[in-house]
Amino acid sequence: MTDDELLRYSRHILLPEIDIAGQDAIRGARVLIIGIGGLGSPAALYLASAGIGTIVLADGDTVDLTNLQRQILHRTDSVGLAKVESGRRTICEINPTCNVIAIAERLEGEALTAQIALADVVLDCSDNFATRHAVNRACVAKRKPLVSGAAIRFDGQISVFDSRQTDAPCYECLFPEGENVEDVRCATMGVFAPITGIIGAMQAAEALKLIVGCGVPLTGRLELLDGTSMTWREIRIRRDPQCKVCAQ
Amino acid sequence: MKVLIPGALRSYTQSHEAAAHGATLDEALEDLDRQYPGIRFRVIDEQGKVRRHIRIFVNGASAESLSMHMQPSDEVILVQALSGG
Repeated sequence: MTDDELLRYSRHILLPEIDIAGQDAIRGARVLIIGIGGLGSPAALYLASAGIGTIVLADGDTVDLTNLQRQILHRTDSVGLAKVESGRRTICEINPTCNVIAIAERLEGEALTAQIALADVVLDCSDNFATRHAVNRACVAKRKPLVSGAAIRFDGQISVFDSRQTDAPCYECLFPEGENVEDVRCATMGVFAPITGIIGAMQAAEALKLIVGCGVPLTGRLELLDGTSMTWREIRIRRDPQCKVCAQ
Repeated sequence: MKVLIPGALRSYTQSHEAAAHGATLDEALEDLDRQYPGIRFRVIDEQGKVRRHIRIFVNGASAESLSMHMQPSDEVILVQALSGG
């Protein structure tokens, strides 16, 4: 680590839970963020600032004026630009040493599995159940830790699904995939902007904890945020022995 | 017992929590439906099963079944899967 890096990350290095070894692990890590919107924006900002070596941004959308109320990675002059390009531009301004790989498509199938296989940690910041289940299946198959966040209206949810642990639940254990489950979109239901910031920042925190190996991750716990009363509830999630994804 | 209502169902209760009575979880949901007509159908389908995007937790742990016995001091949390990001 150079003198500049030691100075830049000194507030992390001062933490005995991180120290130089932890910061080295952060620099050597590759993180995949799926969805560069309300959740992916704050997550990417914190991960880049914290010194993640490689951040892969995956999103097929372009920046829309209605995104700017909460998607803080994007600027007014980015409207019309691919979200991943807008995100790369902002991240490079914040931390030029961060290697940003921009994938301007909705990752599916083998491409999704290949990117997950390369990642140390995966952040699901997507906006639909089909992607959430596909990401979960690939993370289980490749035994990669998944930090899953979601937000709508004034509600937020976050958990960690880590299939490297034999008794840990996966996303399917919590919410089994169903044919008639409709996506509830921010575009139709609305979302209170800071809720996405809170959940997205927590996703970054959980990812960094997993990379460094410090603290207690949210594995097996689902945190529920009610933004109207600003209260948190925690519920325990158990592995479903009949789960069609992780019990195979 | 106290029932915590997810945002998607607050159009029924106008509040983030409600009170319900019943010896079992199913009875509590029926009592909730008497107070807020239609809310039970958003949680339980035509087959009498909990909908796939809904999970019910009692005192922080997954509810064993709709027939599980309940105490007045129990806290029920209705959780709806969120897809927004």
